[in-house]
Amino acid sequence: MRRALSVLGGIGTLIVLWEGYKAVGGLTGDQWPATPWGLPVPTDDLTMPHVIDIMRTLGRPVQRGRDEILAVFLFKAALSTFWKAALGFALGTVIGWSLAVLMLRSRLVERGLLPWINISQTVPLIALAPIVVTWGRTTFLSDSLSVALIATYLTFFPVAVNALRGLQSPRPADLELLRSYAATEREILMKLRLPASRPYLFPALKLAATLSVVGAIVGEISAGVRGGLGRAILEFASRYSTAPARLYAGVVGAALLGLAVFGLVSLVERSAGRGAGRSLAGEGT
Amino acid sequence: MMGEVTPAVTVDGVDMVFNAGSENEVVALREIDVTVQRGEFVSLIGPSGCGKSTMLRVIGDLLQPTAGSVEVFGQAASSARQNRSYGMAFQSAGLFDWRKVAANIELPLEIGGWSKPDREARSREMLKLVRLEDFADHYPWQLSGGMQQRVAIARALSFQPDLLLMDEPFGALDEMTREYMQSELLRIYSELGTTVIFVTHSIPEAVYLSNRVVVLSPRPGRIHAVVDIDLGPPVESTDSAKADEIRERESFFEMTTQVRAALRSVEAGTPGRAGSPGVADG
Ligand SMILES: Nc1ncnc2c1ncn2[C@@H]1O[C@H](COP(=O)(O)OP(=O)(O)O)[C@@H](O)[C@H]1O
Ligand SMILES: [Mg+2]
Repeated sequence: MRRALSVLGGIGTLIVLWEGYKAVGGLTGDQWPATPWGLPVPTDDLTMPHVIDIMRTLGRPVQRGRDEILAVFLFKAALSTFWKAALGFALGTVIGWSLAVLMLRSRLVERGLLPWINISQTVPLIALAPIVVTWGRTTFLSDSLSVALIATYLTFFPVAVNALRGLQSPRPADLELLRSYAATEREILMKLRLPASRPYLFPALKLAATLSVVGAIVGEISAGVRGGLGRAILEFASRYSTAPARLYAGVVGAALLGLAVFGLVSLVERSAGRGAGRSLAGEGT
Repeated sequence: MMGEVTPAVTVDGVDMVFNAGSENEVVALREIDVTVQRGEFVSLIGPSGCGKSTMLRVIGDLLQPTAGSVEVFGQAASSARQNRSYGMAFQSAGLFDWRKVAANIELPLEIGGWSKPDREARSREMLKLVRLEDFADHYPWQLSGGMQQRVAIARALSFQPDLLLMDEPFGALDEMTREYMQSELLRIYSELGTTVIFVTHSIPEAVYLSNRVVVLSPRPGRIHAVVDIDLGPPVESTDSAKADEIRERESFFEMTTQVRAALRSVEAGTPGRAGSPGVADG
């Protein structure tokens, strides 16, 4: 409840800042009040449409002659993007964890693998996305799956890095304790390393969830997949000069989707952590 | 007694060298010979860094000695560990935050493949032994340091290991709690009759708890002296307050003085009191 209120408060603040900036610019002719310096962004209605106009567009039909209003259209688009992002997120999480467990198994693997995992994230997504889509088309992959793979590419990284940190977090004394019970590597993983990595896990998953949305949208744009937010944003961008509010509506839709997946992971975290430990109850001894 | 019963622990000519050959080489243990009889309570005492923890780890098969051998109940330390002969407790209780108290005690039982009903029955029993029946469903961080340490002892004893290895388990506790925990440990020890090797910094603690105190000297860690502890007749009471009577005995002061003298001579670099340091039969 408090969470929801603070999110609403944040949105309210954004609206006030936006409209306030616009109002100031309108009064001073796009200059800082009482100075000769120009504002960084002009405040005309093309560059910065009124919030109320953005909301109005949401209620209007997407196209002349169609009943569907923009809000519904965007919701469907967001849902379509959500499924690709979710698939990418799931795959990325599994791959990230597997890599982390693999790296845990041996220092050698860690040394060999970690640099590549880091380098992988320096390849620009815009370059990578068309490659994945093209490859996908030469095999059995549908474009939607290719998009999910692009989302995977962004998500596996934070998961792998943080999972590894979490799995390595137990103190030597804890490991020695389990060894003194003659525990197997598997038991050490299940009874110590995995539970100990929980505080590292959820921040990574939240980051991965929002990244999966970014990945899916960029993927949709590169692949030209219909029906998702990516395509919608691309189309609205091409008509920005005539209907700027629509592009903003699309951007807001993407932001809300990101917020939604973030919220979903937080919900899972809450239910997983109910009654279990320090991270909820605050630091103990 | 000679030769009939296999001792609990036989440490024979053990050397432990860390980073051998490199410039930060540390000779942590040199030519250690110790024999611990079944049911004996032996303390290791010595200045910080003299190799007490290392010795405990070597006995517990958590470190492979560079030379020499360790036998525990007649088998190699590694087999003893595989057979779950060791219960261990360290200075930090080392309870798992995500497990409730009872589940922490059941951890070694889970790994030992006990059934759920057996585990639960045993953890209840152990909680009673350490007098924490009402805290089964608490999380470790809801307990005081002394209570956490009692849970750790319950965990170490839950599967009835033959040998209890403790590394300064009460080192982080305040003096009052510490003496209380010592009495508790002694009560549990006499109830269960396990063999205990106990590392400590504290002379009164070593004297109060042990049958024998092994004094180590540093760099390289050697056995400097062995002091047999005789405090007179034991107190026939499970009440830990009454057991405290021992601390006021004349013999208690005599024994602490002896151990202190041995430790002083470590610092002064003069040879120890015991004629042949290595031979330490009970
Ligand atoms: N894993 C290790 N690697 C290198 N040196 C170590 C290691 N463990 C202990 N030592 C060294 O061995 C010596 C004895 O350490 P330790 O057994 O912990 O002493 P104590 O428990 O008596 O304080 C110290 O000089 C310590 O620095
Ligand atoms: Mg130590």
